[in-house]
Amino acid sequence: MSDPLLSVRDLRKSFGEEEVLRGIDFEMDRQDVQVLMGPSGSGKSTLLRCVNRLSEPDDGTITVDGEDTAAMDDDDLRREVGMVFQTFNLFAHLTARKNVSLGLRRVRGFAKSEAEDRAGEELERVGLADQADSYPAELSGGQQQRVGIARALAMDPKLLLFDEPTSALDPELIGEVLAVMRELADGGMTMLVVTHEMGFAREAATDLLFLDEGRILERGPPTQLFESPEHERTATFLRRLTDLEAGQHG
Amino acid sequence: MIPTIPAIPFVPLGALADWGFVLRNADYLAGGLAITIALTIASILLGFAAGFPAGLIEVYGGRYSKALVGALGVLFRGTPIVVIIIVMFFVAGVSPAFLAATFALGFRSAAYQSQIFRGAIESVSGGQTEAARAVGLSRLQAIRHIVVPQALRRSIPGFQNEFTIVLKDTSIAFAIGLAELLTRSYDLFVQRTTAVLEVVLFASLLYFVLTFSTNRALDALGERFAIPGGEG
Repeated sequence: MSDPLLSVRDLRKSFGEEEVLRGIDFEMDRQDVQVLMGPSGSGKSTLLRCVNRLSEPDDGTITVDGEDTAAMDDDDLRREVGMVFQTFNLFAHLTARKNVSLGLRRVRGFAKSEAEDRAGEELERVGLADQADSYPAELSGGQQQRVGIARALAMDPKLLLFDEPTSALDPELIGEVLAVMRELADGGMTMLVVTHEMGFAREAATDLLFLDEGRILERGPPTQLFESPEHERTATFLRRLTDLEAGQHG
Repeated sequence: MIPTIPAIPFVPLGALADWGFVLRNADYLAGGLAITIALTIASILLGFAAGFPAGLIEVYGGRYSKALVGALGVLFRGTPIVVIIIVMFFVAGVSPAFLAATFALGFRSAAYQSQIFRGAIESVSGGQTEAARAVGLSRLQAIRHIVVPQALRRSIPGFQNEFTIVLKDTSIAFAIGLAELLTRSYDLFVQRTTAVLEVVLFASLLYFVLTFSTNRALDALGERFAIPGGEG
């Protein structure tokens, strides 16, 4: 068995007095799709942000493909680890195509036409070939998020981080984003996803991690956590999610 | 003997108005207008050249550079423009007068422009910078390719105000005898005190035409670069 693609050891992070991550350990193999769930404030986003070092960990080791991220240049690391944001964060003054091609040109050194062709392909992959010349404000939330995914994919990352990719979306737009994510998962992309979409977790996740108060309280295949969680807190949280979803979709 | 005081034709319209005097001196006023325009452009450019980096420093700078820029800003914004121009010319000895006026108006404008740009830079969401960093752009690249292009668009309305203010404040160069439009108007009406209002109104008209047309031009610039789909 080869080394894991991502390995996180004893990761700790505080903001002022508040200790947000209190020793996180986990690994991801290639093609894993791991879903992080947990109450708000449990440290999910901080954990993701430490992996691509948008937040600097206080302590612990993170390796990507065997390389210690603390020793890597930020731009090298971020070429390998892409990120999709809750609020899309598209570049408002650039078309969808340019949103995707910017990194190719400025970071990977593609020529302009080469970068734009490649951007077109990525947009096609997320079903937006016909919107390549639209600006973010002309797109729906779901379309914007798909551009966000294309932008991350264009860098050929080994690992994709998703920080609540659907929670800023109107309910009717969530499906199109999840469909793209599911396709990526099926295609073998390694993904670490913070989401409360139970359906996605059930169908696409290889593992579910339940984060509580800065620690991984429980982990396992999604069916196991959904059906027979070990901890009462996990059970309560997941039950509440299930009820919410039943309320929304039923 | 008490001289008879003639009725002062202090009415710019009607039979007694003396527009002929204004017209006869149109060349002289046009020369002043040229200086006013040149002074405005020079001051706005200097204000931009110093104010834009100052705005960047106020947002992204280190502790000391921020403190320095902040202090200079407070100084220039907090001092009456007449004082600045007099200090520049008589105390600092900047000469010729045109240069002294350019420095005074330019640095004062930089102090205001820095605030326009600071606000515009801060209004570009931090999420976009973060997304740029997440794609692998350096901090500097993110500022250059993401923040600055949007901040410049958003500064246009504030810049319109600033332009108008600088244009009209060029008349302060009067204090150091620079022969701009208002100084020349003054020269004229002290010669012919019966045509004060005509001269002043004519000069005002010129200021108005300048502010109006530049504001329209900046409106057009704003529309030209507006981001489709709204959200300036």
